[in-house]
Amino acid sequence: MNQASAPASSRRLPWDWFPGTIPDNVEVDPSAYLETTFCFCLYRSAAPVGVRIGRGASAYQGTMFDVGERGVVSVGEFALLHSARIICDQSIEIGDHTLISWNVVLMDTYRAPRDRLARRRLLQKAAETHALTEASPARPIRIGANVWLGFDVCVMPGVTIGEGAVIGARSAVFDDIPPYSVAVGNPARVIRRLDSPASLAADETRSEM
Amino acid sequence: MSGRSETTSAAVLPPGRWADGMLPAGVSLGGGTLVKGDFAFKRFLSRLPDGLVIGCGCTMDGARFAIGENGRVSIGDHCYFTNAVLLCERELRIGNFVMIGWNVTIADTDFHPISPAQRLVDAEACSPLGKGRPRPPIASHPVVIEDDVYIGPAATILKGLTIGAGAWIEPGAVVTADVPAGARVLGNPARIVGAAEPEEPR
Repeated sequence: MNQASAPASSRRLPWDWFPGTIPDNVEVDPSAYLETTFCFCLYRSAAPVGVRIGRGASAYQGTMFDVGERGVVSVGEFALLHSARIICDQSIEIGDHTLISWNVVLMDTYRAPRDRLARRRLLQKAAETHALTEASPARPIRIGANVWLGFDVCVMPGVTIGEGAVIGARSAVFDDIPPYSVAVGNPARVIRRLDSPASLAADETRSEM
Repeated sequence: MSGRSETTSAAVLPPGRWADGMLPAGVSLGGGTLVKGDFAFKRFLSRLPDGLVIGCGCTMDGARFAIGENGRVSIGDHCYFTNAVLLCERELRIGNFVMIGWNVTIADTDFHPISPAQRLVDAEACSPLGKGRPRPPIASHPVVIEDDVYIGPAATILKGLTIGAGAWIEPGAVVTADVPAGARVLGNPARIVGAAEPEEPR
């Protein structure tokens, strides 16, 4: 289960078109599906575990773990990532059974200070390195279990999305979204509530897994 | 393509041609400027000698320069663009220290006419059967982005707009009106929600 200690050569994906490996501090459950190691091209985390991908989860082509040195991302069981851009310098949690559509942006940091002069200093350094590796302020993102994010959704630093919520396509989420609600728009606003699935807890299909 | 040029011009290919590692004619890069991404010039069609001029110390990581025959784009010094899409039929002027996030679109044109009758003509002119047929006039107005502007991921900047110096465009914003210098905007359509730089020290 803990693949973090496996030698690098065994950290390749047999079906991968990209000649990369899974970084040492990334834990992928053996039952999870990772389409390509290209998703780690921007990965720089030095945390003990920088990305953890749970049982039965999948991350398809286009997903990018753009994780900074101190960033930690966790992807819950049966979560589905379809080309999300995960920009993380602190912490992004994605709950179990959460579905994330294409082109979604989850960012716990702007990678840029609001102060104009500080931004100039950052860009002057970046002119030499051609990378934005400076640590900038970050606030964790928490996306609960059983959430569904529509395509092109942006989730801003510090946002918590409650269990069972649905975020409509192209919404930009600046404020917390309560559990079991539907939110849409830019900025996103709650437009209705959903029933919690207490009555579905004993669903047979799920209990077999 | 990974082009890094210490000189001011590297005209190698005619407009509309594009190949790995080569810069089209009309493109000049300042010293220490990096252009990265296989598709940067795939839709670069400008025939102007200054179709794309980029200053010094810039990073264009995955940016795409879709510039029409008469389009002209200028970018200042120390800019950092990640996967931005610049669509230009006329003019796009970008200042110094401008940051543009992932999947941002900036367009100085509507691409097609608004009038339904004109759009019928345009659809046929653009079709495989419309070779050589003139397209109807299409609105395009220059876009100006002043110094120190920050544009967050997935934002959209539409034609004819000026984004004032130091403005902060939140991710996902669809900007349909001028943004005054130093303002912070968000939403679709984007609205001013405060100042780019907070009063209290951060």
